[in-house]
Amino acid sequence: MFKKFMALLLVVFLGAPVVAEPLRLTITDGVIEPLPYAIPTFQAEIAGSEDMAANITRVIAEDLSGTGLFRQIPSSAFISQHIFDTTPAYPDWRAINTQALITGAVAVQGGQVVVKFRLYDVFTGAEMGEGQQLVAGVDGWRRLAHKVADQVYSRITGESGYFDSRVIYVAESGPKDNRRKVISIMDYDGQNTQSLTQGNSLVLAPRFSPTGDRVLYTSYESGSPRIYMLNVSSAVAQPITTAPGNMAFSPRFSRDGQRVIYSLETGGNTDIWMTDIATGQHSRLTNAPSIETGPSLSPDGSQIVFESDRSGTQQLYVMPVSGGEPRRISFGEGRYGTPVWSPRGDLVAFTKQNAGRFHIGVMRTDGSEERLLSSASGGFLDEGPTWAPNGRVIMFFREALGAGGGPSLYSVDISGRNLRQVPSNGFASDPSWGPLLR
Amino acid sequence: MNLQRYSIGTWVSGVGHTGLILWLIVGWGMNNTPMDFEVTQVSVVSGAEYEAMVAATSPNPVAEPIGEMVTPDVPVDTPAPVVEEVAPVTPAPTPAPEAPVEDTPPPPPPARPEPVAPPADTVVEPTPPEQPAGAPDMPVSDRPVERPADRVASTPTPPPPPEAEVSPQAQTAVVEDAPTETTDPVIEEQTPTAPEETATRIVSPDEKPSSAPTSTPRPPSRPSALVPPTPAPTQTPEPETQTAQTPAPAETPAPSTTDTEAANIAAALAAASGAAVNQGPATSGPPLTGGEEDGFRRAVSSCWVVDNGAQWASVTVTVGFSMTQEGKVAGDVELLNFTGGDQATARAAFEAARRAILRCQSSGYPLPADKYEHWKDVELTFDPSTMRLR
Repeated sequence: MFKKFMALLLVVFLGAPVVAEPLRLTITDGVIEPLPYAIPTFQAEIAGSEDMAANITRVIAEDLSGTGLFRQIPSSAFISQHIFDTTPAYPDWRAINTQALITGAVAVQGGQVVVKFRLYDVFTGAEMGEGQQLVAGVDGWRRLAHKVADQVYSRITGESGYFDSRVIYVAESGPKDNRRKVISIMDYDGQNTQSLTQGNSLVLAPRFSPTGDRVLYTSYESGSPRIYMLNVSSAVAQPITTAPGNMAFSPRFSRDGQRVIYSLETGGNTDIWMTDIATGQHSRLTNAPSIETGPSLSPDGSQIVFESDRSGTQQLYVMPVSGGEPRRISFGEGRYGTPVWSPRGDLVAFTKQNAGRFHIGVMRTDGSEERLLSSASGGFLDEGPTWAPNGRVIMFFREALGAGGGPSLYSVDISGRNLRQVPSNGFASDPSWGPLLR
Repeated sequence: MNLQRYSIGTWVSGVGHTGLILWLIVGWGMNNTPMDFEVTQVSVVSGAEYEAMVAATSPNPVAEPIGEMVTPDVPVDTPAPVVEEVAPVTPAPTPAPEAPVEDTPPPPPPARPEPVAPPADTVVEPTPPEQPAGAPDMPVSDRPVERPADRVASTPTPPPPPEAEVSPQAQTAVVEDAPTETTDPVIEEQTPTAPEETATRIVSPDEKPSSAPTSTPRPPSRPSALVPPTPAPTQTPEPETQTAQTPAPAETPAPSTTDTEAANIAAALAAASGAAVNQGPATSGPPLTGGEEDGFRRAVSSCWVVDNGAQWASVTVTVGFSMTQEGKVAGDVELLNFTGGDQATARAAFEAARRAILRCQSSGYPLPADKYEHWKDVELTFDPSTMRLR
């Protein structure tokens, strides 16, 4: 019996098929470099559309290359010309190390612009997503280009884009001791600027609503700082009824756009409050003798991050909206302020002042992994970060001190790379990045 | 059998040891399926035919041992007289022997261009030039020359020049007079192995430095994609025809008669010696070395563009794909699993990994062709955690 059992074991072991194991390796080191792409000038499907096609192609390329994540291959390097809606000659594009190929066609007819585009992954030899066709009025051609760029960006990175978005900010003009400040709006790339207020009174810290149709800001129109809500399309502003107090400032919308969270100074003490816009109900979120201000809600609306000097210096704290003990998250040297919760929910952007230098930085919501993205010194200060709608880029303003100095807008990738000045007409400060347009 | 007499411990021990032994027999799960090679190699060819055909087809394996054996043995065995004979052969190998050979049969000079011309493949040409490049092998043959020179110093100086002339004669004489010539021990050793071919072999030992190096460098090389070289095995027999160039008569028939068999034997020899590698499904040899794995890893890494600010930078993906023997991806790359993100971010991470794999495969990944079975299927895990922003 025992021998039979052993023989059976032998048969089982020897008879079992030996499966070839695949080669298994782990790769942990990659390279950080922009992805090379080619975008031949879009074809003009109708005579007279050539200029529009060239302009749209140019804006798409500027959007993509402006991220620092993509690198445009000059058309002089092209081996073959591509005809829209035909299969690309992949070997020709591979030969010049093109990884993504963007092709398109433009037609201007009847006051409308029609843009078609396709995106190809050159090395897999397949189209990424499906071709799309976008239509807009002639005046909206830049938005068409931004939307195409957003689609390309999204299909390659797997994240939503941010090109078809707008930024609200304070446009400044005049001498420094008598600066005229106007709430203005522009495309994310500094184009199509518009003024939304008259500039008769001092305005501060405009903040977009989640839907981008309204703006909250602080105005000294009544002599003391009050919170106003501005309708972007009509440019009509109305004061918001806040809790009773001397000064209300630093407002932000809740994620649903129905409530406003702000700082309120009463009796020499500043705390954080929340007001329901429709019902006018107020709730006090903090109650401490110290100064609590600059609140920002988490994407899910369950927590707020704010700055407080309760520890003796200006630091960042996080607490549940429903109440509870604030938890300090900033422990580095210097002072922290103007915290903004990332749309992704994983990071908090802030302004840091230490040893005479100003920085824009980010940290995780528990205070770990603090990274400084910008550094200004020698007569400059960085302040007021705001997140791109996809949480990938931060815009802020850098102010040159001195009599002739003024603020300008900058953007930087959250990796700390690709610091760029945003074009603007004159001085600009306090940017607030709106959502993607629809 | 009374099972009760075995205790539980005995059963456990018995089963455990049996399993361990069987596990070792199975070979740690390594796969080996060299069935085809064994059948073609052994069964068809007999001893004499095998060696004869080998001598005709593949110079490398046979020429090496013979060449090596001859050079040391001859001078050692016969100090004074034989050394003189061998010494002139070795010193004048390129200039002296070749010239007389050319003189005796006019065809030989055309014979050399012939091997170069007939090969339709340009790839074949490199091998013929290698033998003329055997000129660089000259320094190798010069070493044995020095020994006879020392010994010649004791002997009169004039002998060397005539000896050089004698050497070519000795070759022809050895071929024809092999049984009757004075160098009985040496000839006897070769005649039993391949009587008819000894002539060619004896000639080749004179030029062995040229043939020996050609055989050695090829096997050790482990280029990434050796499949294109698959014609290489066919190339190797051609140089053999070149060795037959000098004694053209005997060898020309050999390759013609043994076309398929010679190819099979050449492949078998290549596989057996571990030199040529590309033919057929490789046997289950040793796994990839750390260096080989690192080379492959580095090749892929160099094309893996990581956007460490993207959300997918926190996603680890494992992808799988099959490889051709050229070291290129066969079919498509598939996402096997991922950790650390949702479907959208995993998709982006996967696309980045796939782009890396496909982009850097253009010339084939640097993997040893003789270990193809070990990397035919690949699973790569892309873990960007070390590159994530911190």
